[in-house]
Amino acid sequence: MTPRRDPRREYQRRARRADLLAIALWASGAAAAALFLASGGAGQFTSPTAVVTSLGIVAGLIGTDFILVMLVLAARIPLIDRTIGHDRAIAVHRSLGKPALYLLLGHGVLLLTGYGMSQGFNPIAEIGPMLALPDMPLAVIGMGLMITVVVTSLVAVRRKFSYEGWHLVHLLSYFAVAFALPHQLSVGGVLSEGTVQRIYWIALYVVAFGAILTFRFIEPVVSSVRHRITVAGVTTIAPGVTSIHFSGRNLRDLGAEGGQFFIWRFWTGKTWWHSHPISLSAVPTGSTARITVRDLGAGSARISAVRPGTKVSIEGPYGLFSDSARTSPKLAIIAAGIGVTPIRALLEHAQFAPGDATILLRASRQDETYLWDEIRELAEARGAACYVMVGHRSKTGPSWMSDVDARRGVTLQTIFPDLAQSDLYLCGPTAWLDSIETEARATGIPSHQIHAERFDW
Amino acid sequence: MNTRSTLGSVFASVAVLIVGWQAGGVMLAPQPTTTTSPQTSTPKSVTSQPTGTTTQAAAPAPAVAAPAATSPADGTYTGASVSTRFGNVQVAVTLTGDRITDVTPLLLTNAGAHSVQISNRAAPIVHDEVIASQSAKVSNVGGATYTTHAYLASVQSALDQAGF
Repeated sequence: MTPRRDPRREYQRRARRADLLAIALWASGAAAAALFLASGGAGQFTSPTAVVTSLGIVAGLIGTDFILVMLVLAARIPLIDRTIGHDRAIAVHRSLGKPALYLLLGHGVLLLTGYGMSQGFNPIAEIGPMLALPDMPLAVIGMGLMITVVVTSLVAVRRKFSYEGWHLVHLLSYFAVAFALPHQLSVGGVLSEGTVQRIYWIALYVVAFGAILTFRFIEPVVSSVRHRITVAGVTTIAPGVTSIHFSGRNLRDLGAEGGQFFIWRFWTGKTWWHSHPISLSAVPTGSTARITVRDLGAGSARISAVRPGTKVSIEGPYGLFSDSARTSPKLAIIAAGIGVTPIRALLEHAQFAPGDATILLRASRQDETYLWDEIRELAEARGAACYVMVGHRSKTGPSWMSDVDARRGVTLQTIFPDLAQSDLYLCGPTAWLDSIETEARATGIPSHQIHAERFDW
Repeated sequence: MNTRSTLGSVFASVAVLIVGWQAGGVMLAPQPTTTTSPQTSTPKSVTSQPTGTTTQAAAPAPAVAAPAATSPADGTYTGASVSTRFGNVQVAVTLTGDRITDVTPLLLTNAGAHSVQISNRAAPIVHDEVIASQSAKVSNVGGATYTTHAYLASVQSALDQAGF
């Protein structure tokens, strides 16, 4: 057994790192504006024309900085994943998308206006000469690509695309960012040759693209080649739910913790172009690993039909839905439907004294009790209490509960009397999970004690 | 965001901006230049020029020897040749009776067709603005940052020579 970790200390260390990341994000935006000031920018706010032009340049610098930060956040860098988790990194990535696009559009509009004002043209007439500048046509194409990427990611528009279609469009953002670089270096005065600004800016690009290349492409390929994972067998454990067993080499070296997920790609003619983020349903041994999937989309239906021997490539492990995220001595776990899979693996790794963990399993119907036997066995072996709640959701009480239990007056605190000293792990469909999370917050437990994994695929 | 990261972000951002502001301020401050030797009223001699002034920014160089009372002599003053990544820029400034009456480009950025196009577009605009404002302190011409800066730097060095 590894020596018992002190979850409080680890949490504090992680919180400090998370704060530093947030500070770095904002400081990088400020640094982009500072580049402009450092190149004599302060003296460039002297006339209305100059103010418009200067603001245009600053908007372009900050907008591009945000885009580069977005690349870093999407690069799945282990340090960022361990600090804030994949989910939060992607949430921040998403929240930066629209501000970045507005800044870049503002960059174009303000500069056209400013240049137009300085020459007495209207901004529209300025477009022609602007395009005649070196590297500008490329930058305009980059802008067009960036607009496409952001628009296809708006929630309403994204629903109309398949994941693969959307992802393909999203890959254009690499080109958009790369196409914008030449005009920044040649047309812009701020990043002119031989300046510190130019060195800093190129370094930003190298870091962003380097992170993507390393952690999205090289590292997964190396890891897939090294571990040689293949499908060992597929078993149906309930109608529409299958466990896929893998075999491979040195799988413990992956360092996967119970509760984490991998992105899996199955190399058959029909499935190779589709990648699946799926949690482990058991902690890998040296030579085996297992996931459990429910047929929710056409893609997951197809992977439950893969044959033994199929080669599999992986990216991961990712996620903070594991024992690493603990902040408190006790453990409270609630899982619904297929959301039990990471919980099943989490229970193997979680550190707790007998009597300190309580598990609640939730299903609408008796045939949705996937892996419950395994969880009951694990709970018994480790001295954890395991409760189950089966039945359709309550219409009058809290919607995460079964109607029967809601009528009986069951609450979060009657199930988990030690909730205040517990880490609460929740896994299930979004609407269900939101309902519990609201109730949990109402009990007054701080948000760092709540760990949620939303399972909608 | 919690208090610590909010405050940290605010302070870090402000600090970075102040550093940038300071760095920019240093560049704006007048830097004594020693290269321009007073060269009086030689009309358009492209070959023998004071060299070495390669400032890119249009930082106002202080007049080298300009007794405030005396007005500059009429004539054409050749400015320094200022190099940019798109080629050298050099202008001659004609002063008549205390006024800038003309600016003649001797060299303009000419690295490639684009540069020539940009120069040809920007030069007349800067020319008119210099004459209108009677100084080298005019706003940048859109899309011709290098050319404008170099053009104005050359104008300024010619004015400095004249003690304008």
